[in-house]
Amino acid sequence: MMSKDISEKEFVGDRPKTAKKKEKPAAFKFFAGIMAVMLMIGIVFSVIAGYGRPESTYPVKAATGEINGHKSVTANENYTLYVNDETLSLIIEDNKTGATMESSITYDDGESNKTWYGAMNSAIVLTMINGNDDSKQANTFNDLVTKKVKHTQYGFTADVYWTKYKLGMTLEVELTNEGLTVRVPDESIREDGKDYQIGTISLYPYLGNSYMDTKEGYIFIPDGNGALIYLNDKEGRYKSGYSSMIYGQDIGFEDNKVESLLWDRYKIINSAEQIIAPVFGIAHTDDKMAYLGIVEDGAMRATIEGMPNGVSVNYNRAYAKFIERKYYTQPTSNKSTVGSLKISESERSHSDLQVRYIFLSGENANYAGMANAYREYLLANGSLKKTDDGFRTRVDFLGSDREQWVIGTSAVVMTTTDDIREIYADLKNRGVNNLLSVYKGWQKGGIYNIPISKYKADSKIGGTSELTGLIKDAEASGTLFYLYDDALRINPSEYNVTFNIVKRINKRKFEEQTHKEVYSTFNYVTPSRSTSDLNKLVKKMTAKDVNGLCLAGITSNMFSYTYGGTNYTRYHCGNAYSQLMDSVDEKLDIAMEQPNAYLWKNASAFLDMPLYTSSYIIEDEFVPFMSIVLKGIMPVYSEYVNFEANRQEFFLKMIESGTYPSFYITKESSDELIYTNSNDIYSSQYDTYADTIEEYTKELKSINDKVKDATITSHDIFGSAVRVIYSNGVKIYVNYGENEVTVDGVKLAPMTYSIF
Amino acid sequence: MEKKYKRLISSLKRTLTAVFALMLFAGSMAPTAAFADAPYKTYTVDGYGSVAATQTAYLPYATITKIGDETLVGPTDFTLMDDGEIFILDSGNKRIVVSDSEYGLVRTFGEGILQGPRGMFVAEDKTCYIADRDAKTIWVFNADGELERRYGRPDEAMYGEDQDFKPLKIVVNTSGTMYVICESNTNGIVEISPVDDGTFLGYFGTNSTDTSIWRIIWRAVLTEAQRAKMQQNIPATPDNMAIDEKGIIYTVTRGEKTEALKRLNIAGVNMIEPESYEDLPAAVAVGNHDNVFVASQEGFIYEYSNEGNLLFVFGGADDGDNRIGLSTKIEAIRIGKDDKIYVLDSDKAQIQVYETTEFVNFLHEALNLFSKGRYTESKQPLSKVLEMNNLFDYANMAMGKALYKEENYDAALKYARLSKDLDGYSDSFWEIRNTWLKHHLTAIVMIILGAFVLIRLIAFLDKKHGILKTPREALSKFGEKKLVKQLRFMFYFMRHPIEANYGVKHYGSVSLLSSNVLLVIMIIFFIINKYFCGFLVKTVREGSFDIVSDIGMILIALLLVVGCNYLMCTINDGEGKLKEIYCSLIYSFGPFIVFTPLIFLLSHAVTKNEEFFITFGRLFMFCWIAVLVFISIKEINDYTVKETFKIIFLTMFTILIVCLLAFIIYVLWAQVIDFIQQIPREVIYKFD
Repeated sequence: MMSKDISEKEFVGDRPKTAKKKEKPAAFKFFAGIMAVMLMIGIVFSVIAGYGRPESTYPVKAATGEINGHKSVTANENYTLYVNDETLSLIIEDNKTGATMESSITYDDGESNKTWYGAMNSAIVLTMINGNDDSKQANTFNDLVTKKVKHTQYGFTADVYWTKYKLGMTLEVELTNEGLTVRVPDESIREDGKDYQIGTISLYPYLGNSYMDTKEGYIFIPDGNGALIYLNDKEGRYKSGYSSMIYGQDIGFEDNKVESLLWDRYKIINSAEQIIAPVFGIAHTDDKMAYLGIVEDGAMRATIEGMPNGVSVNYNRAYAKFIERKYYTQPTSNKSTVGSLKISESERSHSDLQVRYIFLSGENANYAGMANAYREYLLANGSLKKTDDGFRTRVDFLGSDREQWVIGTSAVVMTTTDDIREIYADLKNRGVNNLLSVYKGWQKGGIYNIPISKYKADSKIGGTSELTGLIKDAEASGTLFYLYDDALRINPSEYNVTFNIVKRINKRKFEEQTHKEVYSTFNYVTPSRSTSDLNKLVKKMTAKDVNGLCLAGITSNMFSYTYGGTNYTRYHCGNAYSQLMDSVDEKLDIAMEQPNAYLWKNASAFLDMPLYTSSYIIEDEFVPFMSIVLKGIMPVYSEYVNFEANRQEFFLKMIESGTYPSFYITKESSDELIYTNSNDIYSSQYDTYADTIEEYTKELKSINDKVKDATITSHDIFGSAVRVIYSNGVKIYVNYGENEVTVDGVKLAPMTYSIF
Repeated sequence: MEKKYKRLISSLKRTLTAVFALMLFAGSMAPTAAFADAPYKTYTVDGYGSVAATQTAYLPYATITKIGDETLVGPTDFTLMDDGEIFILDSGNKRIVVSDSEYGLVRTFGEGILQGPRGMFVAEDKTCYIADRDAKTIWVFNADGELERRYGRPDEAMYGEDQDFKPLKIVVNTSGTMYVICESNTNGIVEISPVDDGTFLGYFGTNSTDTSIWRIIWRAVLTEAQRAKMQQNIPATPDNMAIDEKGIIYTVTRGEKTEALKRLNIAGVNMIEPESYEDLPAAVAVGNHDNVFVASQEGFIYEYSNEGNLLFVFGGADDGDNRIGLSTKIEAIRIGKDDKIYVLDSDKAQIQVYETTEFVNFLHEALNLFSKGRYTESKQPLSKVLEMNNLFDYANMAMGKALYKEENYDAALKYARLSKDLDGYSDSFWEIRNTWLKHHLTAIVMIILGAFVLIRLIAFLDKKHGILKTPREALSKFGEKKLVKQLRFMFYFMRHPIEANYGVKHYGSVSLLSSNVLLVIMIIFFIINKYFCGFLVKTVREGSFDIVSDIGMILIALLLVVGCNYLMCTINDGEGKLKEIYCSLIYSFGPFIVFTPLIFLLSHAVTKNEEFFITFGRLFMFCWIAVLVFISIKEINDYTVKETFKIIFLTMFTILIVCLLAFIIYVLWAQVIDFIQQIPREVIYKFD
């Protein structure tokens, strides 16, 4: 989702740009002309001179340890931290190269109004909720703020208090060996007045900023697998930047955007990819300096903002924005159109807020370096564990679904346990041995008879004992077999949805529309019910010694909700899921569908990794950031190959990112599904896919035999081609272009790859 | 890292961009689309016209925001030439911009001449026709961009005396005849011949007016003054058009249902009726495979086959998210030689290019072969399409047709049923039935003969030895049971309604129980017939069942009719009691119980050719029922014919009033409840 950085209306008219231009006198034009000529000569010279000089010029460092009014506070082996005690703005300097990154702007282009100028020089920027307005901004530069700055061993703390708004908090900044941490403890946040409440908090939003195209490099945003926004002159083309909620949208609040629907009914625009991991970054490739920002605390209710120049101001920036409180629409009538009130949350969400900046320099100052740093960070603090990530082909099966019948519904059986045995045998004959399978719709009543709390297979697919037998045999032959469970959704046609159902913050039951014939809506169950249902299922499964469970729904969703008169925040929901996974992980082997970062430690396989971005127009480049993080640590499987329209490109993407292929298979032809809720599975019959599975497996396996369990150390883009280098020295080149290209002397035909 | 250059296409050749970017500064040139996944879903329609998901058909490929260094302002039209040049009507700058195939500037022209250009047509020899609304002129430029001639308002009387000339869109056929859409000219497309500096040939392809029965009734009822206030009933002006190589003109018109997309032959006669349409079409283009593309203003792009089957719809409005491939205001659409779709967005001042996917390439191959009648060859790409999407309706339909031509009727039947292709199904079914009859004719004759002989034999033996005596006695004993007798009375009721009603009234020939049993049988027959009748006469979607509302509707209708009829009869000196009215009404539906099983069986055996048997059977049945109902009301209440008509009219009127009353009470009651709920809620939320 994109939004304006901060509501624009507040700033309108402050600085009439066009009017100012017209007033320019002739003498000014003449002078400006000379200046322009001189500037151009200067540029030419500096470009020429630049060839002989590897490093560009850095701000002059005073002997006293001062840069532009910032005093040196602390230093370690790698970095020195400079702070301006007045404005709290800071500069971090790389001791080896002398390169710096600033938290406030170093050059004023004179085009920003006072509010923006203040924000660009502030340590903390707040938006406040005041009556019916949530766009009012407060920052540490413009507003009357009392500051008590205390220097500590590793940095400083500052008690900040906005006297006019009666708001305050403590900012703690520490220099670490890798970079910086910036923190606001939850208990330090004060809201003393009644008129103003905190809406959002951004800490050092302009850290690493640059003006227009004065720096080379890019902003990294975690959209889909990863994307870059180059720091070039955007020519004012974009009115909004990247702004998206970490771990996905909050369904607890109504989306007030008008969606473009086909014939006013069908959802035709895909939801944007959600942020899987709470990271962002900026790289200045000319300075060989970059940082990766990791939102450590408060990530569950925060957005990542990536704004190139031209979005409100001419400076490039990236930061995390923590949400403390939000407006919601409270309908007062059952018909939502009749009456409603706009209310803000009475209680703010509680969590410490902390961003860790890992600085990178030299060869590592790029997105691959960021990904490597993130992987090391996760491994070091136990958020990620190395699991067996040997190559496997994922072949999922659909058991049964339901279609309407005269009374109630009747089963549409797609793949029975015997069918799966047959398919396994056939694949074995074809030389496809290493498999991972997720069995969907295995439970009694078919795939949409949810939630599941019993280990009871549908009799039409063979029954429970047959299923247990199949699982045992599959395991014996080395296949990983998982039973699918969407532990979030509940089917109101099959189950009572009076209790333990998620209601939005406005106390209205949340309903997910399917636009399908058999079951038109689903509800969500509360985290406590997910926990109890899942625990029951796990108990029944372990009793039968069935150990593979594939979880969906709760792995990629997180929401604010209200139940029994109490409001619960996303922190509550996320932490409940996290605890649940910890306990299930002790008993079972869990594969997860697109798990959010805080669940990675519990997952033995990552399913449905996005290999694209959301296609925002501001994005200049796709980069496989998440894949670089996880490759060699955890097996990552793609989305289903079945539904890809451009198979060749998708295949190359899998090679580039080290992703394993996935297929959704049924024994029967998928036209059987025409009258079921699964009618979007329009192609799945095994006979159609047997050859493709064999072909993909052979080719991808041979690549992965060379890569083994190495990690990706470097990833570079050369026009339409990319080069991936693994830690064991294996190099892979992929060309997506329509023409032949040569990289490192390797000739690549269009749409092909090479491996060395 | 290397210096990087963005890959959104703007102006220079891709290679040139790279070189320039290195020479100047990092990538300020902008843009290509990388390997974007589409931000939109692609839909097709199933046999019932509802949407179904399918593979992405077209992917965003590139966005053209600049031609050389020239930016566009509010462009409204463009044309792709065979040599790769693109002519863009840069309306905001009142000029024409010519681009080479790599989006470099070739030249601009028309500055100082154009005043308010809206439409453009470029002939194969690059003669450029401009429809200029503000200048009320059609300008013609030669291939070098020099003004060659102009055409103003036709002065023929036939054009219309007060008719202004504000050209918006123009197409020109190979002989130079111009077809012009003019603003607020509702007579149709203006057809102008280049002879004698422009000769008005007449109006072409006029849309029809709304001539629904309701409108006619309304107009008859309204007074002169009211009629004047009513929205004028004039045909809508087409919004855009395109011409193909054969000179066939396609038009799109806003707010029209059946005529949203028209395919007009030389005589101006429409040849298609698209099955799914768009309310706000903005542009139309002809593809390379006899296919047609329509773009809506909101950004949806439709692809139709030449028969008007909807193949794909994709795209959508950009809601401020700025995702590649969504549009703000589409003005024109063109198809490149390589099937790429070019869409001109006047609000974003850009051309968005979409490329085909593997999936749609197979489909186009099949379309091509199929439209040329090479059915057997088309099977190969069709099966590729079906492998990728088993449920793709057009492919199933085409596959059915291809298999039919190959005389593989069983398979053709399956595909026709999947795609709800009634004609195809009927044809295949006819063939299958024919073969079956041929094979089994002897057996059938034998069975009939055998049965005949057997019956005669039994009758003979019975006569001689009375072998059927016991069963016959049992049967007649059973038939004398009270309930059975009352049920059997139905047949008598059907044949002798007047006497039968007398029986109902005075001799207790029927009972509530027997009537209820008949009602249940009727409901069961109704449901079986509705959901399990032959495919060709089925009126509901396959795979959908809604029994509860079926039964509910029947019961409510019955309650209303019986209740209202009773009310009206009691105040009009009717003699009927409620029970009698109910029973006689149920018994009047006797023909339904007799005929429905026959119709049901027949529906499984007929093709479209013999469908009239069923239609006729139904008509006959309902007439019979109507007569029985009429006689029942008359006899039970002892009315005259005139009185009966009166009572029927009054009953219908009462039903209407009751429905209206129920509706009003429901609405009011809902409002009251809502209001009561709302007050405390508002208080609670406000002070919470």
